[in-house]
Amino acid sequence: MEGLLLKDSTTLAPKPGLAESWTVSEDGRVYTFNLRKNARWSNGDPHNANDYVWSWWRALQPALGNLYAYMYFSIENAQEYYEGTVTDFDQVGVKALDDYTLQVTLSNPTPYFLQLLDHYSLYPVHRGTVEKFGTADERGTRWTYEGNNVGNGAFQLVDWKINRRITLERNPYYWNSDQVQLNKIIFYPTENVVSEERMFRAGQLHRTGSIPADKIPVYLEANDSSLHIAPYLGTYFYRINTRVPHLQDKTVRRALAMTIDRETISKSILKAGQIPAYAMTPPGTMGYYPESDLRFDPEAARKLLADAGYPNGEGFPTTEILYNTSEGHRKIAVAIQQMWKKYLNIDIKLLNQEWKVYLDSESAGNYQISRAGWIGDYVDPNSFLDMFLCNGGNNRTGWCNSEYDRLISDVAPTVKSHAERMTVFGQAEQILMDELPVIPIYIYTSVNLVNKSVKNYADNILNQPAFTEMSLQPEQSNIDGAQY
Amino acid sequence: MTTVEEQGTSLWRDAWIKLCKNYLALFGLAIILLLCLVSLLTPWIAPYGYEEQNLMLGATSPSAAHWLGTDIFGRDMLTRIMYGGRVSLTVGFIATAVALVIGVLWGAIAGFVGGRVDAVMMRIVDIMYALPFMIFIVLLMVVFGRNILLLFLAIGAVEWLTMARIVRGQVMNLRKQEFVEAAYSLGLSQWTIIHRHIIPNTLGPVIVYTTLTIPSVMLLEAFLSFLGLGIQPPQSSWGLLINYGVETMEEYPWLLIFPGITLSLTLFALNFLGDGLRDALDPRTSKDQ
Repeated sequence: MEGLLLKDSTTLAPKPGLAESWTVSEDGRVYTFNLRKNARWSNGDPHNANDYVWSWWRALQPALGNLYAYMYFSIENAQEYYEGTVTDFDQVGVKALDDYTLQVTLSNPTPYFLQLLDHYSLYPVHRGTVEKFGTADERGTRWTYEGNNVGNGAFQLVDWKINRRITLERNPYYWNSDQVQLNKIIFYPTENVVSEERMFRAGQLHRTGSIPADKIPVYLEANDSSLHIAPYLGTYFYRINTRVPHLQDKTVRRALAMTIDRETISKSILKAGQIPAYAMTPPGTMGYYPESDLRFDPEAARKLLADAGYPNGEGFPTTEILYNTSEGHRKIAVAIQQMWKKYLNIDIKLLNQEWKVYLDSESAGNYQISRAGWIGDYVDPNSFLDMFLCNGGNNRTGWCNSEYDRLISDVAPTVKSHAERMTVFGQAEQILMDELPVIPIYIYTSVNLVNKSVKNYADNILNQPAFTEMSLQPEQSNIDGAQY
Repeated sequence: MTTVEEQGTSLWRDAWIKLCKNYLALFGLAIILLLCLVSLLTPWIAPYGYEEQNLMLGATSPSAAHWLGTDIFGRDMLTRIMYGGRVSLTVGFIATAVALVIGVLWGAIAGFVGGRVDAVMMRIVDIMYALPFMIFIVLLMVVFGRNILLLFLAIGAVEWLTMARIVRGQVMNLRKQEFVEAAYSLGLSQWTIIHRHIIPNTLGPVIVYTTLTIPSVMLLEAFLSFLGLGIQPPQSSWGLLINYGVETMEEYPWLLIFPGITLSLTLFALNFLGDGLRDALDPRTSKDQ
């Protein structure tokens, strides 16, 4: 699938995708996209501006339960329509001026709007296919299955064996199909990074989505060029359930945050140059550097915990860290468990759950402290900060601060200059880091193994490989697989 | 009654005398006793704390300070193995004991009573066999919560099936033999016949199977713990140590080798002891030697 725009594989700057050009009005609110006339769906159907209007209308149907509906909320009246205060879709700022011209009106100038267009939540879907297998706002119908699915991207789903493999083949109707080098991509899902690395070494994979931390020094020492370590726009953090009585007090949360030795975790456990995180937003996101007075200081933390009524950890209830089953999460949890025991003298239990069970527990608020990670959907501090609005679907901490909400929802979208906007984010982030409903731990780096026969492979901070640009040199290898 | 008592005591005394002549079995017994003793005394004799980390040290190979090296958190492996033994041996013995008691009683009753009772009891065993035991254990853990004692019982409760079948087969064979019929004609109660004649005669296969059950139970515990249903970090067991060791066996082989050796040693010791006990306790050879 492909959106209106693509991103440059290295710089992530927006570049023409299914729209060959676009213009922006002077006030930055009205975008006009000129669609490619040679674009086709993978069944050969013509692809036009009405596909977008219909798809976006569908995405905003409350009955569909779109988890990413908020990605649309910068569009005029989109939020109002989703929440039911506006009932006429014509008032939402999306219009097809003709078959090949799409006009989008925003409520406020949104600097990251063009980036959103390459997010999968704003991709168009094939109306005929969706309606053939159910109504537009019906969840989980069979239109996504192999053989049924009709897409508009460079590759087309041909085979999907759950938990075994997903096979994509080149889509001959793709507008830029001549430039696509790969004929077929196979994705092998796995939870086990150790066996993934072994498969790579055995030549069964061209690319891995990760590598066991203990293998990184081996590859570095061998100076193996198949190891790709690159900055990654994501933060690893712990959510604290602020509805739990003994975690309601922010001094307790601060004491916990101050006794995590992030430098040591990064150096001794993660081993891929991860940056210790003292704020939620990765530093340098659109020139934004969060300020935070959070630091590693066990002495001061002990005092804070005593102030909160638990001198030397006495009387502090046994607290549970929840994580989804994974070797990496376990290691970090074991290290932090021991740090809190050593510096604060409090008892921590670890609880691991299978991914879906873990998500349920977290959404239901059925946890005390839980591990989490957030990868930016687009390159802007907003992608990290709007998560913690009172009603944010991914907040899950029970934390709610009206001043924070005001800064993120009302002030930041309306200020005029980039610098001002960043200052507002800075203020909001300071509130977040003062109250600490989340404890940031480190900023990710992406670590992938890429076979040397893969050419034109580019690393970028969203760790999204551009499959349309890669090629293989067949004389070195006769397999064609890639893996997440 | 006096005759019966004499027979009973002489069986055990004979067995002990025979066991003492079997050096391999004695060696096994010594190893097991040593491991139990070390586990019992671990909190006082362990060189380090089992949760004491030294992240800057990380994983190091065996040295004078850490005889068996350290794991990736810089924790002393010798200490980890000693504490792991406490969990593993406890699980091994308690869960096996549970399986033994249920399995032997169930099999003996089914085989001895026979007929419709036998059919019903063995069908129940068949049904239990068909249940995926993992789901059964997971359900037990979900209903009763995570509790280490329950873990022992849950594992025991699924491990008794094979035992029941073995015992039933033995008993069906035995109950047609002349000495059992003689016991009947002497007017002994069924219960007395079961525990005086039948059970001692089934001891051989039961003991062999028990020595095989103990290590498999230890590995089952590791598997459950790995899924988050058994013991939780920083606690450890041999099975868990091996599980983690496998993942880094190329970089840090000692994390796999030492727990592996410990578990294998236990397994060998149990097998030697089991073989020795089987020979020693076999009532058919007791009168000849």
